[in-house]
Amino acid sequence: MSAFTTPQSSIRRQLPVVRRRRYNRGLLGAVAFIAAESMFFSGLFLAYFFLRTDTTLTVRSDQPLHPSIALPLFNTLILTVSVAAMAWAERSIARDDQRNLIVGTTVAAALGLIFMLLQSVEFSRFVTEGFTPNSSAFGSTFFALLIFHVLRVFAGVTFMLIVLVRAFMGQFSRHRRAAVQACAAYWYFIFAVWLLVLAVLYRS
Amino acid sequence: MASVSIPIEKPGMWARVAAWLTTVDHKRIGIMYLASSFFFFLLSGIFALIIRLQLAQPGMELVNQNVYNELFTMHGTGMIFLFVIPFLVGLGNYIVPLQLGARDMAFPRINALGFWLLLFAGLVMEGGFLIGGTASNAAWTAYVPLSTRQFSPQVGMDIWLFGIVLVGISSTLGAVNFLVTIYTMRAPGMTLWRIPFFTWTIIVTAAMILLATPVLTAALIMLISDRNFNTQFFTTANPRLWQNMFWFYSHPAVYIMILPAMGVLSEVIPVFSRKPLFGWKAMVLSTILIGVLGFTTWVHHMFVSGVDPLVERFFMFTTMVIAVPTGVKIFSWIATMWKGSLNLKTPLLMCLGFISTFVIGGISGVMQGAIPIDMQVHNTYWVVAHFHYVLFGGSVFGIFAGMYYWLPKITGRMLNDKLGKFHFALMWIGFNTAFFPMHILGLEGMPRRIATYAADRGWDLPNLIATIGAFMIAASVLLFMINYVVSIVARRGEVAGDDPWEANTLEWATSSPPPVYNFARTPVVESERPLYDQRMAAQAKPQA
Repeated sequence: MSAFTTPQSSIRRQLPVVRRRRYNRGLLGAVAFIAAESMFFSGLFLAYFFLRTDTTLTVRSDQPLHPSIALPLFNTLILTVSVAAMAWAERSIARDDQRNLIVGTTVAAALGLIFMLLQSVEFSRFVTEGFTPNSSAFGSTFFALLIFHVLRVFAGVTFMLIVLVRAFMGQFSRHRRAAVQACAAYWYFIFAVWLLVLAVLYRS
Repeated sequence: MASVSIPIEKPGMWARVAAWLTTVDHKRIGIMYLASSFFFFLLSGIFALIIRLQLAQPGMELVNQNVYNELFTMHGTGMIFLFVIPFLVGLGNYIVPLQLGARDMAFPRINALGFWLLLFAGLVMEGGFLIGGTASNAAWTAYVPLSTRQFSPQVGMDIWLFGIVLVGISSTLGAVNFLVTIYTMRAPGMTLWRIPFFTWTIIVTAAMILLATPVLTAALIMLISDRNFNTQFFTTANPRLWQNMFWFYSHPAVYIMILPAMGVLSEVIPVFSRKPLFGWKAMVLSTILIGVLGFTTWVHHMFVSGVDPLVERFFMFTTMVIAVPTGVKIFSWIATMWKGSLNLKTPLLMCLGFISTFVIGGISGVMQGAIPIDMQVHNTYWVVAHFHYVLFGGSVFGIFAGMYYWLPKITGRMLNDKLGKFHFALMWIGFNTAFFPMHILGLEGMPRRIATYAADRGWDLPNLIATIGAFMIAASVLLFMINYVVSIVARRGEVAGDDPWEANTLEWATSSPPPVYNFARTPVVESERPLYDQRMAAQAKPQA
């Protein structure tokens, strides 16, 4: 053994340091869950494109292959502002600003509710035009994407309400904010899925 | 000697039952997984015996055709969704935190939720026999249009689909839990390359479950909604839509079922050969490669469904490529045993059983991967022979290797080795007697999933032999159960002690069975074989 070997360095050799607990476990779990969610939507998109490209299927003429995009675009704007508000809320708690966490999450959740409301208007518009999940295979996959997305919006808003309750109880701080981060990550995911749904259903 | 007796009240029976029902301890949850999936193994095995009895002779009328369809459907789905997958998940539940030097899983309550979801999913799936009288009978693939309301109107079909959705949710929760646990809860010093091999296979398995299961869930929800809410996903459309979505999950599911069993082998073989695992990094990389390639082969189940020939050729290629990392594993196990001092106890024998039968299944798999051969053998007994050689010859032998290896840790007592060897011999001979003749039946053109056959086809003798083999397997499983009852329940087995096999990984560093908290002190790891290091250090000490 070299005479220059100090006790510290031999200890360091004995205990190779693993990077531990850099991420919060709950947050990692949420990310893994989002990966699974993205595969669920991949399945639905797979079904949609499979039926779109299947030439043996006859598409009924009254089906709006390219339906009016005005309302969905407005809805996109609402979801964009909501995502921005959530991002702002997440930033705020990183700076220990509990008040802005509450303000941001409230705005994001309220806009999420408005999104759901406007989606139901959109659904009823399709149904009055005679285009329903039961009208054809194409209608089924079309509505599946819309309905499963809006169910995720509902889940996201519920998640935000839980975050809000906990924020009012003062449970979050700069050092304890994994739930806020997980909620925000899920909300960004829902936004990304919406952009795909919009592009595919309305303009592909 | 003066002693103070403190009256500690032993918990009553109901308190103990309540403790099990509400437990979040990964070890108890693991044991409940093992016990309930073994129950479903016996149930599905009984279905298989009835099937074999029916086919023992031409023109048998033991059960009618409809019941026969229910039996093979519930045999298949029971074995896959309620035995092999949850059994391996349960083994992982028990062993992985111990191998990591952790005190529990990352999310203990989600862990408990996963188990209870699975148990009730199993009861729901089998419930079709009781509710409405007809269980699912459209085979485990549930191809449309056979599984639509028009051709399978029974409630049993709906609740079976719902049960599989629950199984999917359960295994997704488990996958998230495993990934986070292994990522964040390793003992200090346990770098990526030092993660024990069984845990490595659980990582890849969990990733596959996480990415494959949701696609099946989507397909199942679509089919349920077709059957109940008049949507049109599968009723009017091209039947290949269901096939694609189903096999996108169900081909990776094959690797979900085999990888942890390969992990068991990679733990057992080095310990019983007294050598390190040959080619550690190559083994880890081949596991990852199997996981990745597993997602690129699903269309080989659809070679006769009218897929574009160019697409078929691509999937033929990937199917054959996946044999390469699998071959790496076989090579590594053999090289590990090469010139080792073999300790021919039951766990190692089970591993040898795995290798000898799995190689046959692997080769017949590559043969089927070739499009022209597949066209000939598709839907014949050849396919039945093939997948039993990989799933029974592979996974189930791996499962029994794991049981003989880890039950001493779980229960604190050794299983009887002599009885274990009888179990192995009878199961290995019975297995080959049951399933090898099916290759011949398949090549002679006997289709799978038929309830009976005519006497003039020349299928009588192989079928009779297969039936005899099936009952030999049943007898061998009975031997295992007798062994368990005598050695462990009746406490006739030797006391295992902490480390009966002189093994390498951290689960053997604590008592058998481990205390609730697993380790009194967090162990520190310096290689992929921490206990080997410890033994070497203990040997070196007297000389110093």
